[in-house]
Amino acid sequence: MLRKIIIGLSLALVLFMCAPIQAAEFPTKEVQIIIPWSAGGATDLIFRALGATTGKYLGEAVVIVNRTGGAGAVGYTEAMQAKPDGYTLVSAITPLTILPHRVKTAYTYASFEPIINVVKDPGMFLVRSDAPWKSLEEFLGYAKKNPEMITVGNSGTGGGVHLIALAFEDAAGVTFNHIPFAGGGPSVTALLGGHINAVSVSPPEGIEHVKAGKLKIIALFSEERFEMFPDVQTVKEQGIDFVMGQWRGLVSSKGTPPDVVNILHDAFKKGMEDPVFQKNAKDMAINLHYLGPEAFGKLMAREHELFGKLIQKMKK
Amino acid sequence: MFESLQHLITGFTIAATVHNLLYCLIGCIVGTLIGVLPGLGPIAGIALLIPATFGLNPTSAIIMLAGIYYGAMYGGSTTSILLNVPGETASVITCIDGYQMAQKGRAGPALAIVAIGSFIAGTIGIFGLVFLAPPLAEAALAFGPPEYFSLMVFGFIVLSNVTGKSFLKSLMMAIVGLIIGAIGLDPVSGDARFTYGSISLLGGIEFVAVAIGVFGIGEVLVNVNQPSELLDQKVLRPRLRELYPSLQDLKKSVGPILRGAVSGFGIGLVPGPAPVIATYASYMIEKKVSKHPEEFGKGAIEGVAGPESANNSACQAAFIPLFVLGIPFGPVTAIFLGALLIHGVSPGPLMISQHPDLFWGVIASMYIGNFILLILNLPFVPLFANILRIPKKILLPLVILFCITGMYSVNNSVFDIWMMLLFGAMGFLMRKWAYEGAPLLLALVLGPKMEVAFRQSLMISHGDFGVFVNRPISMAFLLATAIFLIFPGVRFIFKQLKKGGI
Repeated sequence: MLRKIIIGLSLALVLFMCAPIQAAEFPTKEVQIIIPWSAGGATDLIFRALGATTGKYLGEAVVIVNRTGGAGAVGYTEAMQAKPDGYTLVSAITPLTILPHRVKTAYTYASFEPIINVVKDPGMFLVRSDAPWKSLEEFLGYAKKNPEMITVGNSGTGGGVHLIALAFEDAAGVTFNHIPFAGGGPSVTALLGGHINAVSVSPPEGIEHVKAGKLKIIALFSEERFEMFPDVQTVKEQGIDFVMGQWRGLVSSKGTPPDVVNILHDAFKKGMEDPVFQKNAKDMAINLHYLGPEAFGKLMAREHELFGKLIQKMKK
Repeated sequence: MFESLQHLITGFTIAATVHNLLYCLIGCIVGTLIGVLPGLGPIAGIALLIPATFGLNPTSAIIMLAGIYYGAMYGGSTTSILLNVPGETASVITCIDGYQMAQKGRAGPALAIVAIGSFIAGTIGIFGLVFLAPPLAEAALAFGPPEYFSLMVFGFIVLSNVTGKSFLKSLMMAIVGLIIGAIGLDPVSGDARFTYGSISLLGGIEFVAVAIGVFGIGEVLVNVNQPSELLDQKVLRPRLRELYPSLQDLKKSVGPILRGAVSGFGIGLVPGPAPVIATYASYMIEKKVSKHPEEFGKGAIEGVAGPESANNSACQAAFIPLFVLGIPFGPVTAIFLGALLIHGVSPGPLMISQHPDLFWGVIASMYIGNFILLILNLPFVPLFANILRIPKKILLPLVILFCITGMYSVNNSVFDIWMMLLFGAMGFLMRKWAYEGAPLLLALVLGPKMEVAFRQSLMISHGDFGVFVNRPISMAFLLATAIFLIFPGVRFIFKQLKKGGI
């Protein structure tokens, strides 16, 4: 008798454990976001903050999992192979459309279903305040006369800000000497110490030093001026048609049902609009830039093509 | 200076409030646990707890997170000493003499001296942070790529023969380390090197996998290879009065602790894996200074006290570039930068004046935290030391289990576990044929940084090698390296001449 009760109870338990999986509604368990970069980086922090505010709109917790390695390839490969049920998302940031041009990866941007774009940070060049160039015109004038003499630091070969610098060369008709560093921090340090002439960064890197008057923005690649520095003109205002930045959004593996994508999109959009996240974003000086699934997909397609061309140029 | 003291007193009134003390305590406890578990280091621990601090004010949040950081530095040595498994990367060197001490039944004194040394070094580090932060941060900026390269060359040559057994074997291990360090994406051209199409290898081989493999797994395999009756034996039972260091131990350790604290603080200002390098340097210094260098490697307490003090003061120094320049020089401070940003505090040249409460409150809390850790750790010494009473046939599988779970927690990567086991097999063979693991790990840390600095320098100078000798700081390091290499030769010739003269 006792045995029967035990068997019965275990069966009930098994059924109980299986039940949520069979349920039709989404979500019934926590949703995880794979971050292919290490904990504490800008991408990690943004999505940790967003995950914290989105949980209550989604009805389930959002869990962040850092799957580093292979310049992002490890995390993306795993996310691509995940079941397309909407429970495994991955942070899609600019390098998703860069790395597949550089090495053989199992994925491209097209292996994923776009959900939402959250951030778009403009690229910019910083120089020391005591640099000989007072304006963009003088800077580019010097660069034209002295090809490959101005040293421009970046956060790593083939990374977003390196390619922005390469693209800016084309737009402005100049050439620089690009020096790769292990991240934005070290490149800004080298500029502060006067070991290089300029750096290509995107906020919040270097912003504090601009505020403190040690560095200045010599070229800004956004559509509009910064709220913090209303006096700094964009390069577009100064006659060079060049706007470029780095974006960060969320995608899931290909084949995620459209209604699941919609539920996720709506929840993360609300999470973005949440006053707590808005404050976090403002404090971190990141530029929120909402795009829905379709527009985000188009953005990735466009960038993928552009970076393909730039990588060809880099390899030459 | 007086002004700093006044600020510091204000800081203490902020840090000593009940809820800040509580967060400090939580941070210290979590940090100690994270440090004790192999693999799981301060980086993962802090990142996991950042969302938990969203509801706190920035000062309390940073107080707690900082507690995790230096708490992990205290705890990291525990498994190094007891099981030869480095709890985190800055405790690799502690394995050498700490584990030998434990094998001789002196685990208690080793663990206690770590807590005492860490406390003293942490205190010295905090005072350095209070009085020297702004000028030191400016000085750190003088280091560009050429200076780093020369410094790395100096460090590499001086430290690679750290255990000083066979120079040839050490050199061979260092070269193996350099080769392993070359795996992954080329830092300049971005091409894949030695990855053979493997995606997992693109990011290079994880340092922790090599460290735990060569030391921890290697040690287990060496034990398993022993005759089975040895496995049934219990490790030496520590007697109660031997649980804490004797007066003689303390006397021996004073010098190493103070030297370790000062050298660690200086090295902590250098970008890169400063705490790791600080421990190597301290070990090297102690061995050179010691009247009994032959005891090193056989359980010399100086070889534990010095490096463990150095990694603690290095970890305080690492906050200087973060707080003063807003630039993290290492991976842990990078996480702090993120945590500060998310709380609306942008570290940088203006931070100390804009957020004095936070800056001085956190510094004062570090002092309180160090004291908490001392009180927290000393009573645990008997408990930890008794782990060695567990028979080896039970303990060894547990060690493997700890290593595997710890390794997985670093990057959530199964690939890393395989790597760790592979290096474990290599560590076994190395032990068998008396090759040292320390030079290999040092080369693995320094090699990639050295390569990047070298190539950056030449890119900046358009291929002119003069860049290394035309800059005074760089030149000084290269000269020091040359003297270090030539000096033993000269001394040898001099001795020969003297002998001949008589």
